[in-house]
Amino acid sequence: MGISQAPPSIAEGLQFALEVEHVTKRFGDFTAVSDLSMRVPTGSIYGFLGPNGSGKTTTMRMIMSIFYPDEGQIRVLGAEDAAQVKDRLGYLPEEKGLYKKMKVREIVAYFGRLKGLSKEEAYGRATELLSKYGLGDWLDTRCEALSKGMGQKVQLLGTLVHDPDLVILDEPFSGLDPINMELMRDTILDLKKQGKTVLFSTHVMAQAEEICDSILLIYKGKAKLDGPLAKIRAGGHRAIRLEFEGDASFLRDDPQVDHVNMTPNSAEVFLKTEADPQDFLRSLLGKLRIRRFDMRDPSLHEIYVRTIGPEAAKEFGHV
Amino acid sequence: MSKGKSKTKLVAQREILENVRTKTFWIGILSFPVILVASILIPTWFQKKVDVRTFGVEDRSGWLSAAIEKRLEMPDFDALTKLLLDKDAEPSLPKDLRQSTLGQFLQAFAKVGAKQLKEKQSLNSLLPTLLDTLESSDLGSLLEKLPISLPIPKGKAKEGIKTFLGNMRSDIAKFNDWIESLPEEEAEKLRNPRKNPKFQLTAKGPEDELRELLKKEKLFAYFVIGKDPVQGDDGNKYVSNNLTDQSLRRWFSNIANGIVAAKRIQKLGISPEKAAWLQTPVRFAPKKLDESGNETEVARKDIALKWAPVAFVYLLWISVFMMAQMMLTNTIEEKSNRIIEVLLSSVSPLELMTGKILGIAVTGLLVVGSWAGFFALGIYLLPTFFPQSEGIIASLGLGSILANPAYLASFIIYFVLGFLLYASVLGGIGSVCNSLKEAQNLQQPVILLLIIPLLAMMPIASDPNGTLARVLSFIPPFTPFVMMNRAGGPPALWEYALTSILLLLTVWLTFRGAAKIFRIGILMTGKPPKLREMLRWLRAPVNR
Repeated sequence: MGISQAPPSIAEGLQFALEVEHVTKRFGDFTAVSDLSMRVPTGSIYGFLGPNGSGKTTTMRMIMSIFYPDEGQIRVLGAEDAAQVKDRLGYLPEEKGLYKKMKVREIVAYFGRLKGLSKEEAYGRATELLSKYGLGDWLDTRCEALSKGMGQKVQLLGTLVHDPDLVILDEPFSGLDPINMELMRDTILDLKKQGKTVLFSTHVMAQAEEICDSILLIYKGKAKLDGPLAKIRAGGHRAIRLEFEGDASFLRDDPQVDHVNMTPNSAEVFLKTEADPQDFLRSLLGKLRIRRFDMRDPSLHEIYVRTIGPEAAKEFGHV
Repeated sequence: MSKGKSKTKLVAQREILENVRTKTFWIGILSFPVILVASILIPTWFQKKVDVRTFGVEDRSGWLSAAIEKRLEMPDFDALTKLLLDKDAEPSLPKDLRQSTLGQFLQAFAKVGAKQLKEKQSLNSLLPTLLDTLESSDLGSLLEKLPISLPIPKGKAKEGIKTFLGNMRSDIAKFNDWIESLPEEEAEKLRNPRKNPKFQLTAKGPEDELRELLKKEKLFAYFVIGKDPVQGDDGNKYVSNNLTDQSLRRWFSNIANGIVAAKRIQKLGISPEKAAWLQTPVRFAPKKLDESGNETEVARKDIALKWAPVAFVYLLWISVFMMAQMMLTNTIEEKSNRIIEVLLSSVSPLELMTGKILGIAVTGLLVVGSWAGFFALGIYLLPTFFPQSEGIIASLGLGSILANPAYLASFIIYFVLGFLLYASVLGGIGSVCNSLKEAQNLQQPVILLLIIPLLAMMPIASDPNGTLARVLSFIPPFTPFVMMNRAGGPPALWEYALTSILLLLTVWLTFRGAAKIFRIGILMTGKPPKLREMLRWLRAPVNR
């Protein structure tokens, strides 16, 4: 009967839309999440980073009260029991689908009604959103007739139809075509503008780097690094961003270089602490045509590789 | 709580809408009237298309085969008598037949022997024997004992008998001619009931020839009658290559038996009326006690009432099986559609499973309800197409079957409970599988379990309060079917109460168990879990 009480509203007073404290989840002998804590500030975009299988989805399912933690506490929108505020959450799982036989507006409205909207509200919101996202001509089309890209849009709208305060997106960019990728990014930024909180997971660092305010890095069920993105990057070694023409493979053996992240025409170079960047630049002249030489904060990718170790990163295709 | 209920309702509503849009639903609804119509039309069609069994006879006795043929030529005396006595009868008998010797004899016999006729003493068994044996016996003494004034010329008794028998035989031929002139349907009712158009004697002759014919498949079988069938069975045989269909052999020996028995009686010097009495079979008139303990006649509707449960069990079984199967396929479909997790972000697994089960239950009731509608419509329309069915339908007393709470009401209750039980189990199974193929293996034990009440259906129907019926009704997975099956009994009230409590308890436990497995299984991908693993899930508490 706790439902009849008004749940705490998402007032400015609520500093964190989501608080996860010392949460552990086991499946049999396998520990999927171990003593994980995180705090997602209200109104921010929070990136949940880590390779596949590191416990991101399990954590999100616990936040959505699909799973329950074995230990620890999760406070969502200020409520001790996340089930109480389920209707104010929007969740887009990585594994998502639509009822093939249902019509586009019908299914978006159905998701809205499951979140407590009245029938009229749900249909009104569904029509409005679908038209806004360019699906106005498809309202009464059966989902099985949609293209993959349109299906993805409908799934996203099903998540947003009830105007949730906290939106949780599991790998929202995976499998999207470039247009929808853009759309997803704009939608996330737009949600932030409306004062909503967005938590999304990804294993692609560039996406997180682009839009996140804060991140949490998870590996093998354990939190490795968390906090505001700017702070995390400032705390790391400064890196030299190098763009060039020629063969730069000698850099790996250069005595001044600690290590290097290499792509064919660019490199992120980390010097040994005693090395002088000016000397290093001088030593490159004549060996390469330098197009850009830029001292900056390390990329999220670098932080990521350094945090979980190059071997682990290689395992998941990040080098 | 109210919120959860409304979400469950939403899931159920959607489930109904989705199911109603599927082909399976409409096939389910329409298959019933199609089967109903087919089950009426196909047998009638097959009845008209009889497979003729041709047979041959070598008669070494020299008389039995002819006697059999003669016997089959005799019309249905009982039916003819009824026709003679009934003045409004259609078709009306021509006057000359009515006043013929046979006609008068039948009327006279019927009037005198009306009591005997009521006791089902059949003229068909009496008269042929009389005709066979009169010739060699003393008619005078018979006439004194039979208080019938027979139209026999007075005076010379022997002469009189001969004239009488001759008249009777020629009258039989006349009656036969008249019968064959009638429309087939009417004629059929008046022919010798033993006469079967399926069996046709097409060859007579020495066994060698018959054997050749059988080899060429020109004959279905042949009989050899021994030299002296009155003495014993020596030399009698029936030769055929079809060992399963024994109907021809039984039919032929039945007729031969009657004739030979009469001959044996005659040989012993027993008088015809004694012979007829000797051959009167012992019968027990079927009666039953009504509710106040009075003895009453057994009507057709009483028998219908006893056998109706079988039809109900069939319907119950088919609908429970079909709907539980729907739960399985829909769960797997939802899982492979990858929509499950989206749903679980809004509803709890328990709400989802409950909603699905409720939705499918309503779908099932729609299907079963439509079947009942088709059935009622069929009963209503049947007399229009088959006028003769009207009396049969009325005599079945369908109204009293439907009004009896042991039938229709318990059908609906047992459908709901049986469905809840099996839908929970199959929903649980569906939740741990990723494809129908995987599910087929897992659901095999359930199907084996479901076959048991089907196998027990006939034994239980004939002995609804027997040990088998009693024992099975206390095993909850069988309770719905077996208790429905026993409705004709009916079972005692305490049995209804106790089995229902057991069943409800089982439904509740199964539902909870399935919910636990559903909760975990529904998000699982990869190989279905081992049984041991699922049992461990059952031990975990349901926390929400």
